[in-house]
Amino acid sequence: MDFLVNWLANVPGFAVPFALAALGLIVCEKSGVLNLGAEGYMLAGAMAGAGAMLSLDVHPLVALGIAALFSALLSLLFALLVITLRVNQVISGLVIVFFAQGLTALIATSQGWTNRSFSGLGELNFGPLSTLPVVGRIFFQQDIVVYLTVLVFAVTVHVLRATHVGMRLRAVGENPEAADAAGIPVGLYRLGAVVVGCMLIGLAGGYLTVAVSKIWVDGMSGGRGWIAIALVIFARWQPWSALAGAVIFGCIEALIPRMAAIGLQLPQYFVLMLPYVVTLGVMVWTSLSASRHSGQPGALGQPFVREERR
Amino acid sequence: MAEIAVPKAAARRGFFGRFNLEVRGHMPIAQQVLVVSAGILLGLLLSALLLIASGVKPSGLANEFIVAIFSSKRNVAAVLSYAAPLTIVGLAATLAFKARFWNIGIEGQIIFGAIGATLVANSDFGPASMRIVTMALAAMVAGMLWIALPLFLKIRLQVNEIISTLLMNYIAFNFLLHLLYGSWKDPQSAFPNSKLFDDVERLMPVGWQNLNLSVPIAIVLVLCVAWLLGMSRYGFLLNFVYSNARMARAMGVRIAGLTVLFALASGALSGFGGFMISTGIESRLTQSFFIGYGFSGILIAFLARNNPFAVAFFAILIAVLMVAGQSLQVFYQIPFAMVQLIQAIIVICVAASEFFIHYRIRMVG
Repeated sequence: MDFLVNWLANVPGFAVPFALAALGLIVCEKSGVLNLGAEGYMLAGAMAGAGAMLSLDVHPLVALGIAALFSALLSLLFALLVITLRVNQVISGLVIVFFAQGLTALIATSQGWTNRSFSGLGELNFGPLSTLPVVGRIFFQQDIVVYLTVLVFAVTVHVLRATHVGMRLRAVGENPEAADAAGIPVGLYRLGAVVVGCMLIGLAGGYLTVAVSKIWVDGMSGGRGWIAIALVIFARWQPWSALAGAVIFGCIEALIPRMAAIGLQLPQYFVLMLPYVVTLGVMVWTSLSASRHSGQPGALGQPFVREERR
Repeated sequence: MAEIAVPKAAARRGFFGRFNLEVRGHMPIAQQVLVVSAGILLGLLLSALLLIASGVKPSGLANEFIVAIFSSKRNVAAVLSYAAPLTIVGLAATLAFKARFWNIGIEGQIIFGAIGATLVANSDFGPASMRIVTMALAAMVAGMLWIALPLFLKIRLQVNEIISTLLMNYIAFNFLLHLLYGSWKDPQSAFPNSKLFDDVERLMPVGWQNLNLSVPIAIVLVLCVAWLLGMSRYGFLLNFVYSNARMARAMGVRIAGLTVLFALASGALSGFGGFMISTGIESRLTQSFFIGYGFSGILIAFLARNNPFAVAFFAILIAVLMVAGQSLQVFYQIPFAMVQLIQAIIVICVAASEFFIHYRIRMVG
């Protein structure tokens, strides 16, 4: 029982980065821009968050804001490539990851942020609620971002589904030619989606350093950005399904330290492979259970050039 | 110049007045080379500014990158010994990309190639005279095995290979750590390394300094890939498929078979690259021998636009960057991550320059 409570209490902290990153990807990709750079934006956010904590000594929530802004800044470069210059979106996404890996390692090393721990974001205080048996540990001993994540999901789903902006955004992603003919500025909507989406991904990265590890190490996002991309495909671009997927991955990641804690003797490095193996399994499962509609936006990955329309 | 004029749509109003984006028909190759070269130069210029901003004197820049490297036999040897495996992984990426298989898992295949080679070395398998050849073959088989699963998933289940090959990198890395912190650790070393290879398990020295057979092998492989892509029937079929897939299918070309062939060759070459790095440069298996190669291989193939000879050229360029990066690290305390950043900047500039190959901006009024 103790094992179960300890495990489940740790799940939200591990699930939040996957959830926010997947949501950011969905926003971006609903506009038709394929974003393979998630790993890069997470690194950028993680580094900026840690840097803000170490050098500016700000409140952890401000550090998270800085993480999102830094990631948004980086996304402008991506937007320049794929929206203005119509560069292949696969190449652009990959090169952004490489760029971010180099940039974050360079900045963090030259500023001396690497391997320095700091006191990050703490848990919210719910008073007596948090001492409730079982429920208290799992639901009332979390940091504020965990609760905010659910709110952000609700708002995003509402905006995408029920507002003018959201419907235009989806139109741009499904059929940019038709959207253009209807007078919707395709490039502008895509720019907005890329920047907002990447802010969410950067926030996910910032959460990794500011709230979870409380330390920066080069390349510390450890493939979570790629797992988030797989999650989006698994969720068929549906935000709530992505949140469910993120919780599943949170469970797996939270299980790894728990198994060691109760003294289970398993080959360590095979256990560390688990999230990647499970992701592969999820991708296989997704493709096996392929329904007719994968949920993928119609124009995903295709640059829009008005003068090229047929 | 033969250009197909495309009917203009309504001009849009931008910050700079009204302008149109015009689609170019085809740009002559010479002009394309010019545009891409301009992109590379811009990338190098931005990188130079970045280096100056991080404390390198402008006069020192020329010294580090040109004089220091080409005036010393030792540094030329260092450049060539890095350029050989970089060429191999660049060719590996080229083969996969040619078949439209996004093999981002080169790093994992490098790791497994080296593991395969070390397995042969550790177990002293086969006659000593054939040991090095056995190691190379084992590396190629291991590399192919490591690409086989994503390839199968792609062909059979349409699982996105970009993500699956990438996930395989993380799995391979953890497996490498499992070996190096476990049964393969050299008890005489404080670090998680395998034991040093014997003399029969290393490539024959050729030339000066620490140069070995890896450079001639790389040259031969460039020619092989050039033949495969440019002159063999497989290369011809591949071009056919990607100029008109429906026609090719109607004529009975087995597209999946071609993809399998090229992707497996890509895995084998990556594995071979892992063998070359571990035996030719490190002489043992370490936990970091592969770092940067997978990433550079992909960028080299992109810069070279899948041309094997251009792959060799860009591999040398990146190798110069790596050697210069090491001395920048020593003399200016600039982190080695700078090398990766510069590569990314160059690729971004080249990718951006391609815009001008496909489109022309025309001011209206």
